[in-house]
Amino acid sequence: MSSEEVIVPASAPPMEEASTSTSSTPTVNTNTETPTEENKDKEDESMYECNICLDPAKNAVVSMCGHLFCWPCLHQWLEIRPTRKLCPVCKAAIDKDKVIPLYGRNSSKQEDPREKLPPRPQGQRTEPESTGFSGFGFGDGGFHMSFGIGAFPFGFFASTFNFGDQRAGLNNRPNATQYENEQTLSKFFLYLALLCLVGLFYS
Amino acid sequence: MANIAISRIKREFKEVIKSEEIVQCSIKVELINDNWTELRGEIAGPPDTPYEGGKFILEIKVPETYPFNPPKVRFITRIWHPNISSVTGAICLDILKDNWAAAMTLRTVLLSLQALLAAAEPDDPQDAVVATQYKENHPMFMLTARHWTNSYAGGPNKVADFDTKIQRLKDMGIDENQARACLSKENWDLEKATESLFS
Repeated sequence: MSSEEVIVPASAPPMEEASTSTSSTPTVNTNTETPTEENKDKEDESMYECNICLDPAKNAVVSMCGHLFCWPCLHQWLEIRPTRKLCPVCKAAIDKDKVIPLYGRNSSKQEDPREKLPPRPQGQRTEPESTGFSGFGFGDGGFHMSFGIGAFPFGFFASTFNFGDQRAGLNNRPNATQYENEQTLSKFFLYLALLCLVGLFYS
Repeated sequence: MANIAISRIKREFKEVIKSEEIVQCSIKVELINDNWTELRGEIAGPPDTPYEGGKFILEIKVPETYPFNPPKVRFITRIWHPNISSVTGAICLDILKDNWAAAMTLRTVLLSLQALLAAAEPDDPQDAVVATQYKENHPMFMLTARHWTNSYAGGPNKVADFDTKIQRLKDMGIDENQARACLSKENWDLEKATESLFS
């Protein structure tokens, strides 16, 4: 510690404590003004600070336990301890696929400064459930008939009929080929099911 | 050092300085060098413990990977505590190792250390000798800890008997710190301590 350059904390203790304070810190009255607009803004902003870098969150994501992070910060945290994925604030279980991105109005203009990071997880949009019986009516054609044959085509319907809904980020994933294989397989089973149906009708 | 580490330490430094604890003189942080990689912390011994009235200085080293990895913290002030090495000042505290979380700050680390002083974990010791004394001869541990606080951290409570014993060993040409460490280890049995020092 040769280059000792100790900075004495020059903060001002709040007024009521200042008189009793025995510390040698200089008492400067900086905390006395009433909250101004600027202070209010600062307070508002601090509510949206990333819990890791303490700056206003960029590419914000929020965990299931409700804690806000920059996606690059959280990603780095999860990478550093792949075996213990815990929320940096409350130590709840946390997962890459279970965080929710926050899209502010101008969020599309922001660009990720760290391009090498994987993209922020996509928002998961679920279609509203159709209400009433009409959706399950016979008028829909033969597809629903296949439910009676067995459970196997059931799961594949969702993926097969979601062609238009392929998520943009999906192809960036390392398991994209596996996903394609599954799709091919599911189509195969769908056609098999249809073939069985036709067979049933004619028998 | 990575930008995130510096900017975070700067913010945390301000946070500690603004915090209520500094007003109560219970924690303090000072800067050692210009590149924010080394800091010096100070915590007050918590009340109703043998550390009461003492000021304990800590060495805080901020790694390049901060805040994704914990800061390296060590007691510079010598202290008699089961979870702190009486020789090196190394600390055994889960949040400074595996249980570190990126949202923890200098302030929470210092407060955690203060809490550690108030609630030792003798079953997960850093200093086995101290931990054994803590468990098997607790009144002796309390006295020893108070004596160390008085000798090294400026605590107000002298233990006259211990001071005399140390003086006896000093008269035999033994370094004060060495004498204190040895006597503490031997439960202040002067004969045993002399034996172990001269054998």
